[in-house]
Amino acid sequence: MHLPFRSKRALRTVAVAAMVGMTALGLAACSSGSNQASSGSATKGTINWWGWTPTNSQEAKDFIAEFNKKYPDIKVNFKLIDITSYDATIRAALASSGGPDLFDLQPGARVQQFGPYAEDMAPVAKAALGSDWKSKIAPIAISGMTLKGKLTALPVGSTYAGMLWINSQLFDKYNLKPPTTLDEWKKDCQVFKQNGVGCFVQGAAQEGFDQDTLQSISNSVEPGLWTKASQGKAKWNDPTIVKTLSIWKDLFDSGIMQSGALGAQQYPDANNQFLTGKYAMIMMGTWYTQYATEKAMTEAISAAGVAGAKTFPILPVAFPDVAGKGHTSEMYGDADYGLAVASKSKNRAAAETFAKWIATTKQGQQVIANRLDTLPTLKGIKPDFTQIKFVDPSLQSTPVNDLLKKVGSVNEPREALLSADVQNAILAAAQSVAGGSASPRQAANTLEQAAEAAANQ
Amino acid sequence: MTDSVIRARRTSEPQAKGDRSPRGAGRRRRRLHASGLPWILPALVLGIGLIYYCIGYTGYISLLNWDGLSPEPEWVALHNYLRIFQDPVFWKAVWHTAVFFVVTFGLQTLLGLVFAVMMHSKIKLGVLYKVIVFVPVVLAPAIMAPVFRQLFAANGQFNWLLEHIGLGFLAQPWIGQESTALPVIMVITIWQWTGLTFVLYFAAMSQIDQSMIEAARIDGAGNIRTLVSIIWPSVRGTTVALAILSAIGALKTFDVPWLVTIAGPNNATQFLGTYIYQTTIQLAHAGYGAALSVILLIVALVMAIVFQTAGRERNAEKNPVERGTN
Repeated sequence: MHLPFRSKRALRTVAVAAMVGMTALGLAACSSGSNQASSGSATKGTINWWGWTPTNSQEAKDFIAEFNKKYPDIKVNFKLIDITSYDATIRAALASSGGPDLFDLQPGARVQQFGPYAEDMAPVAKAALGSDWKSKIAPIAISGMTLKGKLTALPVGSTYAGMLWINSQLFDKYNLKPPTTLDEWKKDCQVFKQNGVGCFVQGAAQEGFDQDTLQSISNSVEPGLWTKASQGKAKWNDPTIVKTLSIWKDLFDSGIMQSGALGAQQYPDANNQFLTGKYAMIMMGTWYTQYATEKAMTEAISAAGVAGAKTFPILPVAFPDVAGKGHTSEMYGDADYGLAVASKSKNRAAAETFAKWIATTKQGQQVIANRLDTLPTLKGIKPDFTQIKFVDPSLQSTPVNDLLKKVGSVNEPREALLSADVQNAILAAAQSVAGGSASPRQAANTLEQAAEAAANQ
Repeated sequence: MTDSVIRARRTSEPQAKGDRSPRGAGRRRRRLHASGLPWILPALVLGIGLIYYCIGYTGYISLLNWDGLSPEPEWVALHNYLRIFQDPVFWKAVWHTAVFFVVTFGLQTLLGLVFAVMMHSKIKLGVLYKVIVFVPVVLAPAIMAPVFRQLFAANGQFNWLLEHIGLGFLAQPWIGQESTALPVIMVITIWQWTGLTFVLYFAAMSQIDQSMIEAARIDGAGNIRTLVSIIWPSVRGTTVALAILSAIGALKTFDVPWLVTIAGPNNATQFLGTYIYQTTIQLAHAGYGAALSVILLIVALVMAIVFQTAGRERNAEKNPVERGTN
């Protein structure tokens, strides 16, 4: 088929126009749009909130429903993004003009990477809580969300780790006590295995949870050294870290860690194995408190693919003194997540209203507290246990309350000080030692080199 | 393209001759019949505007130390490329890609060929077997990944099967140790793509002249001899095409190792695709990730040129007369 053109010039004109048009379209699509549009109304409008948590969408809907009781004219759309693809999704969204108005941030790598694209929330916190706002929020939550003096997000909740969760039914059934030393841990595992029950389950394929176990071991060897290394005040090949990796290796060799742990992910693999009663212990933090309740545990067991879920009481216990030096591991924690308002949002005022309500008001924080998923950051807010139903209140009420009291004094950070490069290097060290391809000393040296290289970038 | 231009000139000639006005004839002589160009223009613009622009932009980014978002990237020239060649994870990924290609291509070819021969031999329920062999091709890796994670877990069904057939001593955490994780990824890939190999060989074998096979039989050739000396050379074109597809597939490998083992443990299933993703997205080293992408592009181009050249030489050897006439 032939299309006649009046002249070469006409053809060229059409071609050039088409090229320019397509390029303009492409550039328009790629352009970032206006950087600082109007901030919009603070009491009405539609805002889009993107996050990897709350992982239970119903939880987010409950938050929004409570919020709408006070602000009925602000519609909040929550978009749940799987944590494994969150960074890729949010990176592209923040670079464009079509991203979220509100997004989740977490201390550490995410605050470092995406914090520059968020509004400073310090003025919002000051407006809501007064000039002494810092004294009204858990300090660990503020420090984790602060980047170069800017409060990148209002901390919604905080999480703490450094303990084990046990299936108390299994311990009772085999007449065992929670381990307090490495030897006791090994003996408990032998008994469980003799009875065909899994002992301790961990998804060692993921860095975050390996870090928790390693930080706890390190605190057992020498409290505080891990944090010093995270701050750059100690080397990652310090003898304490070498000893930590040796004990980590022992967990695998002695059969405490389940077979195939290096190929397992904490979510869903390890989590499902524990919640379906196949294993007696798991390394989880305060976010696991929610599964002490009948409702959340039933939902979680059903989500793990078990019909007719039978709940069982879970209890938090201190991480064993695996180094045998008398140091029971201190807990450590960060802001679980905070809500950041995107600098490019055209609805910043409404987005700030929602973030302010959920993070700084008693009403918003009480809703957070009662879910027992993440702990409220606003001081003085506690879960309302008259509304919370434990699986076995007589067994769980005291340990859970003790745990919630204990975290109030925690000041050791969990991931806030670690860059993505260092976290990746910690995972490589943990896996190479556990897999036997490197000795603890070799792995520690490699980790130190990677940390130095990351610091120099 | 040349033919169409000639056709365009020929079709314009009678129109020019039929015009009585010299002025009108001049205008029509200037008229250009651009056959094809308007039709390929959108694709051309998209190709140049998106694909080649993006390749060029990736090349530019590869010269930066950049997190992918910051407005102030740092110019580092070729530093990223120098780092790549000293990066042990990169070399691991290259080695895994090479091993993966050799093993998956070899086994898929063998299995696909055997299945195709068997299906040509009038077996009962042949259609059912064809469907069974081909179904994995249409299943999305994202759907199958959790199944394989469960299947090859330490307490998974594969170990259960081994224990129940008296091979319990072979049971092990297949995806949880460096020595077996890569073979598992290769097994999954072979399971998934053997169906395609089978279909292509099956179609190629349908084109073989039956008289050749009958002649071989009369000459006393058995099944193996017929397969090796008649069928295998006759489907060589298909084998070359499959080699190219497998090589491209090996370079692009991402979904199965990422979804099943997250490229671990300890980078045991790291490929170039997974490493680029990990570097660019998880670690926010967009510059370094772009340099890795450029290296991947160069490797793919070299591979394409090698296959193309080898294919032309084979054709030239096969048809020397045609080469002379062209």
